[in-house]
Amino acid sequence: MRTASEGPEIEFRNVSKSFLLRDSRSLRDLAQAIVTRQPLGHQFFALQNVSFTVDHGETLGIIGRNGSGKSTALKLIAGVTAPTSGEVLVVGRVSPLIELGAGFHPDLTGRENVHLNGSILGMTSREIEEQFDAIVEFAELEEFIDTPVKRYSSGMYGRLGFAVAVHSKPDLLLVDEVLSVGDAFFQEKCLNRMREFKASGMTIVLVSHSPALVSEFCDRAIWIDHGHLMREGHADDVVAEYLEKIPHGSGVGV
Amino acid sequence: MARAYPLQRKPLRTSGNPISVFSGLTSFWVRRDLLWHMTVRHLRGQYKQSVLGYAWAFVNPLSQMVIMSFVFSTILKLGSQNNVPYPLFLFVGLVPWLFFSSALASGTDSVVGAASLVTKVYFPREVLPTAAVLTKLVDLFFGFLILAMLMLYYGRAPEATVYWFPLLFAIHMIFVLGLTYPLAALNLYYHDVRFLVGVVLTLWFYLTPVIYPLDDKVPHKYQWVFDINPNAVLIDAYRRVILYGVEPDWKKVGLGAVIAVGTFLLGYYIFKRMEAGFADSI
Repeated sequence: MRTASEGPEIEFRNVSKSFLLRDSRSLRDLAQAIVTRQPLGHQFFALQNVSFTVDHGETLGIIGRNGSGKSTALKLIAGVTAPTSGEVLVVGRVSPLIELGAGFHPDLTGRENVHLNGSILGMTSREIEEQFDAIVEFAELEEFIDTPVKRYSSGMYGRLGFAVAVHSKPDLLLVDEVLSVGDAFFQEKCLNRMREFKASGMTIVLVSHSPALVSEFCDRAIWIDHGHLMREGHADDVVAEYLEKIPHGSGVGV
Repeated sequence: MARAYPLQRKPLRTSGNPISVFSGLTSFWVRRDLLWHMTVRHLRGQYKQSVLGYAWAFVNPLSQMVIMSFVFSTILKLGSQNNVPYPLFLFVGLVPWLFFSSALASGTDSVVGAASLVTKVYFPREVLPTAAVLTKLVDLFFGFLILAMLMLYYGRAPEATVYWFPLLFAIHMIFVLGLTYPLAALNLYYHDVRFLVGVVLTLWFYLTPVIYPLDDKVPHKYQWVFDINPNAVLIDAYRRVILYGVEPDWKKVGLGAVIAVGTFLLGYYIFKRMEAGFADSI
């Protein structure tokens, strides 16, 4: 299946990402800024000189407090945003589980959204047809699949989103705090599916506030704080150090 | 298994290489399933929860045709043109114009309108404005249905030269897309763009021979204004091939095609250059 590369599946080479925090976005302010030679906003670094690699089949956890740059790292891997400097290399099809069902259209039925979302994730129409029954079964939405998704509960929404993403046959699964959707039963089901993926050798990147989940699920972990890579290594070691250095109770929770 | 994604990629690298326009276009073709689903999504969203639904696609052109015919034919006494009744003359120009203006307006808003998608998952972003433009083809189709009924009413058949229509319309399509791409991208950074588009479309309407013919009454020294306006050239050509049975003015259509293709290449290039920053700017 994999034809390219022996090297790492993900590689960050001295990656920095900065945002221009603009206070306004009108042409008037742009004109003013050009005339007065004032910057349009101030620079904010979400990541600074971060380098790490993830090998094929590895499970990497990214931990850190709110606003530390975790999600930015995930977005860089997903290809949604480009690094300001440095290089991000990713091999294969990426399926981001960042906010499940982001691509759903409320007026379309579950069935139509499976097709739409699947094609956004890079599946061909034929692949979607092949996977359709499995997706619906996994999401446990057989009865409601022809109902517009605006009538869905948030749990149903998340289940369908998760089901499409995991059936898109990604080479690389990105998971961002999504396991908070659905009831405990469905969360366990998602985790089980992720364990199966892990066992089957899929590369998974998991972003979480929960150190317990990271040390249970991941082989390796990186800890990011204020945009800097603080520590990289075995998941248990990184989590232990994170818990030691970060005062208990700050930014914890799933 | 065929993969829709290349295996090795550097996500969202901006490149100054014009060749990238062509490699971009091929990856676009690879994702045509996505384009189709996105168009359906737009289409479903368009008239949902409105009582008349798709009937609105009839109401808009029909009501404009009636009121304009009244004003310009009955009050201002613009008579039939080349033996074509004024309402028919008007409508052959109005339908493509309405397509152009609604496609441009909705294409401009398309990327901003899909903010939740753009910030979360990568796919070729040009799918969004392209789908918005394709959606308007449905309205155009309804417009031509009304035109067919109108021609039936006046007892006229399309002239034999109508076979030139697909070619002419293809040029129109390329032109609309080429304008839509950079506007959709710029609208993300400056929301003023959508208002600017509204103003420009109003002015452009008057500089396009929709309500008046492109004939000898146009002073010679202003002729160039219409020559460099593909909308004017194409609407004149539509009238020739559908109503008058004469070939288009190929010199002018040729220039229009050059402008359309140039606009497309430049517009697509600008879009791709700006694409990497989309998620950060929404």
